[in-house]
Amino acid sequence: MNDIGEFTLLLALATALYGCIAYVMSARGNRIDLYLSADKTPFIVWVCVTISSICLWKAFLTDDFSLQYVWAYSNRELDTFYKVSSFWGGQKGSLLFWTLLLSTYMLVVYFQNRNKNLRVVPYAMAVMLIIVVFFLFLINFSTNPFERIPLPPEDGRGLNPLLQNYWMVIHPPTLYLGYVGFTVPFAFAVAALISKDLDDGWIRMTRKWTLISWFFLCMGNLFGASWAYVELGWGGYWAWDPVENAAFMPLLIATAFLHSVMIQEKKDMMKVWNMSLILLTFAMTIFGTFITRSGLIQSVHTFDEATLGYYFLAFLFVIITACTTLIIARLPLLKSTNELDSFFSRESSFLFNNLLLLGIAFATFWGTIFPIISEAVRDVKITVGPPFYNQVNVPIGLALLALIGIGPVIAWRRATLSNLKKNFFKPILASLIVAIVLFPFIPLGNRAEIYTYVTFVLCAFVVTSIFTEFYKGTVSRMGLHEESVAGALTAMTWRNKRRYGGYIVHIGVVLIFAGIAGSQAYGTHTEKHLQLGESFEIRGYTIKYEKLVAIEATNIKTRIIAQLAVERDGNRYWTGHPEKEFYKGQNQPVSEVDVLSTWKEDLYMILADFQEDESATIKVYVNPMVSWMWTGGWIIAFGTMISMWPDRLEQRRRLDRIRKQEQLFPSPAQE
Amino acid sequence: MHTKKIMTILFMFVWVSMGLVPDAGAGALLDDLENQLMCKCDDKCGKVLINCTCSTSDKTRAKFSKMLESGITVEQIVKMQVDKYGETVLSAPTKFGFNLTAWMTPFLALVAGGFGVRKVLLAWVGKKGNIDSIEAPVAESKISEKYSKRLKDELDGIEL
Repeated sequence: MNDIGEFTLLLALATALYGCIAYVMSARGNRIDLYLSADKTPFIVWVCVTISSICLWKAFLTDDFSLQYVWAYSNRELDTFYKVSSFWGGQKGSLLFWTLLLSTYMLVVYFQNRNKNLRVVPYAMAVMLIIVVFFLFLINFSTNPFERIPLPPEDGRGLNPLLQNYWMVIHPPTLYLGYVGFTVPFAFAVAALISKDLDDGWIRMTRKWTLISWFFLCMGNLFGASWAYVELGWGGYWAWDPVENAAFMPLLIATAFLHSVMIQEKKDMMKVWNMSLILLTFAMTIFGTFITRSGLIQSVHTFDEATLGYYFLAFLFVIITACTTLIIARLPLLKSTNELDSFFSRESSFLFNNLLLLGIAFATFWGTIFPIISEAVRDVKITVGPPFYNQVNVPIGLALLALIGIGPVIAWRRATLSNLKKNFFKPILASLIVAIVLFPFIPLGNRAEIYTYVTFVLCAFVVTSIFTEFYKGTVSRMGLHEESVAGALTAMTWRNKRRYGGYIVHIGVVLIFAGIAGSQAYGTHTEKHLQLGESFEIRGYTIKYEKLVAIEATNIKTRIIAQLAVERDGNRYWTGHPEKEFYKGQNQPVSEVDVLSTWKEDLYMILADFQEDESATIKVYVNPMVSWMWTGGWIIAFGTMISMWPDRLEQRRRLDRIRKQEQLFPSPAQE
Repeated sequence: MHTKKIMTILFMFVWVSMGLVPDAGAGALLDDLENQLMCKCDDKCGKVLINCTCSTSDKTRAKFSKMLESGITVEQIVKMQVDKYGETVLSAPTKFGFNLTAWMTPFLALVAGGFGVRKVLLAWVGKKGNIDSIEAPVAESKISEKYSKRLKDELDGIEL
């Protein structure tokens, strides 16, 4: 089976290589025979990579320790659940998983776009195949997951205990779906540049792909935060680690792209800018893999055998050079009318939104690479951690939050003074009321508290501006169509899915901002060493240490569980069970926290230490509003689903366009 | 005058962000210290001390707690740690010398970007304004002021 896996990887590489050459030659030479031949390669590559992946999964599930990769990331005692996820637990498997997702996306694109726009699609397929070739080259010749051990050991080394969490099955695939997904709009953008087909066709063809990739990347980031929160046991969810930053930067740039692309669709402007943004987004996804796999920047997330840095750096260099050259060469064709009616318009607000999003992305990038710059310039190693990012990014983030509120209420083309007065009155009034109401209750003793206060005021501004939009639309629809409130609201949202779906996403973002602000400024924590029966108080909760239990969970895992009674106003409120897990052969135990999560706050408990006399050190955090962030994530998911939902009207328009296009450029079959 | 105002606002923005507002109060000294330093465990976990849960961080925390109780200030402890491990023990770059570029560059880039966006917008608005000014007299001569006002009012209320 392993031989089959290894062979299919080689076959996939050869096929992908042939595919990209054939696609390019068919497009350049108008060779239908070559096109038809190349058109089979995405499917063959996908079949080969899938077979190879199945072989690796089988090796994990059957404890085949003759494979070095299976030995390094699994053992006989590992749950089947984690044996499946061990596939992407290390560098070799994660690259194969990346290639599997990429070839699957490529196959879907192939089926979606067969016989459509034959000027652009062959080049897009070629670009995707080139990227597949790069990954397959690495897998085949540098980091092969089917590498053998001459004398297979009896048992494996096992999966890192921190990775033995259900989020391991959810978070990496979600993040990868986002990372890999941006290959599709990137490929179409490059294809448009090569084929000189530079209207907004490539944007329309990939709009859903961009949204899907953005959605997965966004969810991947949130799931990662959630994983860190429940698994790492430090009471936080985001540490501005280089690898976290690497996932955050493409998300920011893609968000800027999603907004600015609307201007191109509506006004045929900003073609160069949009092209640059999508290329930069893709470059950032490769930069992220470079960070994770180079070992150049210290990170808790870096793979153990991070040796592929130079390959990724070279690939990044080629991508940036090629794309920049292409854009410069096509500048005359990318020129657009670029006219605006007024400085005060939604178009302008989108430009400033782009500036701020890129500002945060740049600050994050700068902080991530600054240790390397410092070492190169001064020969002094330094660290750039959370205090830097919080001080630099928070004020820019607040300006961005304000713009989220300004965007929906400012008119397209030209905002007149009367329009501004009318639309801004309610949001400003609401934010003033919130500012006055909160002022006596909110401490303003330090920078974090001041920022939090400003955040809450801005959240009120944004939420009011969005709800006003929903209200105005619903009321006008009720008047026009004599519908009920619910009927009008649903019909209005359904007829303008993109716009109102976007607003719902913004509400989710507001909740995330509020959650971050609340949890960062008003949290508290304490650590107590307790004997059985002793208790302590924290923010109105009485925590009583009741029991310490040891359980031999498996041959390699022992769980030490503390039982803590939580009382409020003299009544038992909840029972917490934080624990420590000890794995055979691992130096550090793993903390499994227990969290009582409410809308108001999280009571977050950690068993920090314990002694033989059953005394224990308990650490308790009270983190306000953390659940707002997770709720915000679900609202973003809901809003994105609405935005992405197929639109019959849009489909009709698309079919009309295709029909017209086919009349101009007949498909090979017709020829 | 207008540019001067924008410059002043931007300067204040950067100034506030750079930390003129006082930081955490005396009650949170240990948290403040843990925020400023990285964990220096053998595993090179790369975490800020306050976020770290390894056994080394627990010992370090206990040691720092005792030092603070004995009257040693946060600044003194930080200096002692820098002397021992070098600048790499700090969780953020210092705000002097070459390290200042770490703090200033993002804001300078943002300010430069802001001016760039403003210039681009003004150019785009100017272009449209020029075209309108050529076309306007013809249009205005045909449309009465009454209808023009009505159209403007209706356009204000329409979301395109």
